[in-house]
Amino acid sequence: MSKLFKMNFSLYLGVFCVSVLLFLCFFGPLMAPHTLTEMLETQYRDGKVLSPPMEPFESDEYPLGTDKWGYDLSTMILHGLRYTVFIALAITVIKMGIGTLCGLYIGTWRKTPSWIIAFENAWSYVPLFLVLYFFLRPISFNSPLETSTLLGYFIVIAAIISIPSIISSVRLKTAELHKSVYIEAAMALGAGRSRLIWKHIFPQMKETLLVMFLLEIVYVITIMGQLALVNIFIGGTTVRFDPLIYLSVTKELSGIVGQARLNIYGNTHILIIPLIVLLFTTISFSLLANGLKNRYQSNYARTPWIKIGQMPNMKPIRKKFGEKQAWWPLSGEKLALLSLIIAFIGAGTYVYVTKDADVGVKSDAQATYDLQFVMDEKGVFDTVAAIEVKNQSKDDWEELVFYFIPNVFKEGHPFASVKGHSEVEMKAIEINGEKAEYSLEEDTLRIILPPNMKDKHKHRVEVSYTFTPPEEGVRFSKENENYYLAQWYPMAATYQDGKWNKEDYSDGGETYHTDFSDYRVQYKLPEGYSFVSTAEKDPALLKSEGTVKINKVRDFFIAIIKDMEVHEMKANNGVNIRLFTKKDHNKGIEDTLELAQDALRFYQEKIGEYPHKQLDMILDHGAFMEYPGIVTINPYIQDTYFYRNAIVHEIAHQYFYGVVSNDPYHQAWIDEGITEFATSMYFYAGRNQSEGQAFSIPNRRMEMVNELGLGRQYSNVPLHELKSSAFIYGQPAMELLKMMKDKYQLKGEDVKIVSMQFLSDYYHHFQYKEVNTDEFIRFAKDYFLVPSGYFNSWLNR
Amino acid sequence: MARIIQQIIIIFLLILTLAALPVIIEVNAGEKSLEWNVEQLPKIYGEFISEISKGSLGTYQLGTQVRAIEEDIGDNFFTSLKVMLIGVISAIIISLIFGIFLSRFRLTKVFNAFMNILSTIPDFIIIIMSMILAVKIYRWTGIRVISLRPDAGALNLWFPTFLVAIAPTLYLFKLISVKYYETSGEDYIKTAVAKGMSLNYINFQHVYKNIEPFIKAELIKVISLAIGNLFIIEYIMNVSGITKFIFQSNQVQPIAIGLFAMLLISGIVYLVVRIVFYLFKRGFIYE
Repeated sequence: MSKLFKMNFSLYLGVFCVSVLLFLCFFGPLMAPHTLTEMLETQYRDGKVLSPPMEPFESDEYPLGTDKWGYDLSTMILHGLRYTVFIALAITVIKMGIGTLCGLYIGTWRKTPSWIIAFENAWSYVPLFLVLYFFLRPISFNSPLETSTLLGYFIVIAAIISIPSIISSVRLKTAELHKSVYIEAAMALGAGRSRLIWKHIFPQMKETLLVMFLLEIVYVITIMGQLALVNIFIGGTTVRFDPLIYLSVTKELSGIVGQARLNIYGNTHILIIPLIVLLFTTISFSLLANGLKNRYQSNYARTPWIKIGQMPNMKPIRKKFGEKQAWWPLSGEKLALLSLIIAFIGAGTYVYVTKDADVGVKSDAQATYDLQFVMDEKGVFDTVAAIEVKNQSKDDWEELVFYFIPNVFKEGHPFASVKGHSEVEMKAIEINGEKAEYSLEEDTLRIILPPNMKDKHKHRVEVSYTFTPPEEGVRFSKENENYYLAQWYPMAATYQDGKWNKEDYSDGGETYHTDFSDYRVQYKLPEGYSFVSTAEKDPALLKSEGTVKINKVRDFFIAIIKDMEVHEMKANNGVNIRLFTKKDHNKGIEDTLELAQDALRFYQEKIGEYPHKQLDMILDHGAFMEYPGIVTINPYIQDTYFYRNAIVHEIAHQYFYGVVSNDPYHQAWIDEGITEFATSMYFYAGRNQSEGQAFSIPNRRMEMVNELGLGRQYSNVPLHELKSSAFIYGQPAMELLKMMKDKYQLKGEDVKIVSMQFLSDYYHHFQYKEVNTDEFIRFAKDYFLVPSGYFNSWLNR
Repeated sequence: MARIIQQIIIIFLLILTLAALPVIIEVNAGEKSLEWNVEQLPKIYGEFISEISKGSLGTYQLGTQVRAIEEDIGDNFFTSLKVMLIGVISAIIISLIFGIFLSRFRLTKVFNAFMNILSTIPDFIIIIMSMILAVKIYRWTGIRVISLRPDAGALNLWFPTFLVAIAPTLYLFKLISVKYYETSGEDYIKTAVAKGMSLNYINFQHVYKNIEPFIKAELIKVISLAIGNLFIIEYIMNVSGITKFIFQSNQVQPIAIGLFAMLLISGIVYLVVRIVFYLFKRGFIYE
């Protein structure tokens, strides 16, 4: 027990708390649940009204509650803490460095000039915060100066004005040591001033200086707090009049305290929570300083002769001279320090890796595909699809659900746009090596999980089947000798919010929603055919056998083509564009390729990296359609304007479909609308067309809606309710343009640049994530600082 | 003597420069840069000295009316002086009693621990916390602990006094504890113990006598701490003290007068404390 009392808790706790603090400084903003500009809006949820200020610990979304205006307190603190700590550190480093240097040298002078002492005395009388107050008052409020300039001034001035007191105490200690006998001895032996200072005096003061350093940090934070109480916040004060409100620009901790000062009367949590964090900050450093002091004191102190109150009873830990510092075996403090470092790095890595984990909508079914097929001379594909499906939810699954689209085109199908029909023969389905029970209706393939497998988290499904694509179908199609295999394999549906998200196939839009998956495809073709696909590196043309791979794509499209010309061109970063075509159409091949190259380059420069190394374009009969890394274009249509527009559209889809995912059934507007906007932006910003010309297609779509008298509809409706595709293509594009024109001044000077920056930021924020309307609104609202109601005219929340 | 004059001149220039800072520093909104109009400094010094030499303290602006400072400063000055005087003296007495004379008792240990915890908390946090506490106490019990109305008399004053006393108490208490601990290891204490003197006697005649110089040396620092807090406390608790002149105006004259009044208050407090020490020594300690 007595051993436990003698432990230097103050030191250990101090080291731990300071580590926690530094961790929050480095990784705080990554951990923040919201952004600084995101507000809690008054809303009904489960029959309760949620309105700011929210009390702490009431909601998971706002762990520490919100302030009066609905800004999240924890977010403000996590963003502000680094300012507080790093500014305090910067000031302390400067003043301790200069102060110590001057103090050491002045202390060794034979006589200190009286004016220095006079100045020190005069200076020690003036409260330092008052000097800063007078300095910052003319420049802090609604300052035209940059925040960084203000911070710089604060750091420099605060450091300079506190140097005299540091000099004073270092000088006194130095002078005291300078009188010691061993200094005299060193002087007698011929040591110069610098040697005396750095070899004899400074080593004696190291420990005191370290403690002083830590205490000065606390002192700087105290000054910042005092300034905050008189409404001077570090980094600038925003003043709002009527009512008079003072706001901190940087959300630096003492600033958050200061701006909440009037909350002593009510909603005290807005004041108390940042205050506690600030307290934690100062106490951490104080504890560390105290702990170090205890250790040094216990090493050097003499035992008192009379009974006194404060008896330090630490066990001294002295350096043993002549003994090597051994790091091994680890024990006691070293072990604790090592585990602290490991924990710090580990937690930091974790925070960094998972920083985007809360972005986007999640699917709990993760599939990996291993597909094999053999195509015979008659065009029958004999296929084995081995699919591994991981259950990442907490539920036990009853069944696995797949889209199996070839099945809907069987003879007698209702789709007028599909001329021929497909043939599908299911041979066998195995699950985890056992024969599986399943049902196949339309395009829904359900595989019933046997009771003993329900709690497994990984299922391996093997489906063997043969199929032929329908002649002149939609997407999944046979055009003369060419075969287009789209959605030709069982595609795992997404599992969201505790259920399988699987809708029935229908004509028109895309009814299938798949997550990003890894693919490995092994194929065998008759002689004379070439294999062109989504894969990162397609085999050489006319190669009739091979294996290809690609990771993190939403679909795997294959074109099996015969006798087509190939044209190639390079876009930025070595991305290769291949164009496959026949000669029997009137569209210029060079033109098409150049347009594709220009559009891709534009997007590469303005939006971000193109996700693949290659973009394939196949010009043939059928639909204009995007697949990851490959697009199909129909050159046989007459409307050249639409033709050119559609090419850019499909390329834009490589970003807003290929990388930013969405549910194309329930949230079809997300990829189509934003792609349409990006397409028009290419003509507007990239080709410098007039706004009317660049946006003529979305505009035309909306005019059509008017002419047909379809009235109004939200853009985020599921496909079966949709009155016209204009609501998912044209309406979002026009509304986005309107928002840009309304709000671009917040972000820049040119509406084109701001629009492209918006698309780029959107793309990078949601890379390889799924977006829905709520996520989009959350992003856009925060981007342009608009209320949620801003989108009410075209999006239904 | 030379040093004292030097010090007085430095303090005088320092205060005037400080008061002039709001006038000297200007933000150039167009170029987004800071401008220092240092050339105005001599003019400001000149004006201030000529105003004082006329025997008047000058004027200040209150809203739209211009008032003479000497007419209004009296009450404010004495309010601040009262707060400071009571605050600092009680800080010294408390820290001496608990730091030395009652140090060995068990109950003091509790007090010690409490003070140690408090001393790690920055003053301004203590100030805010205690205000929140006072509001809460009123909520729970209906007892009005503080009043933020400037005309509330004692109710308006006792709490600021208490808060002003906290920082110096913590500082002095820590200092005295450390010095007590150091002193008690000295050989003359050993001798005194060996002679069989009582603890109280040793505390008075040996320990106190040797600690007093340290306290005297730190007195300026202690008063400066109290002054620093006084500014904040008067500001946020609506005490109509001397800081009113400093915070409410942008002119050089009232700020400078306010700061000089502060200096005067510190001087008076310093003198009073020295007199108290002297009397205590004459009364209790054998020279």
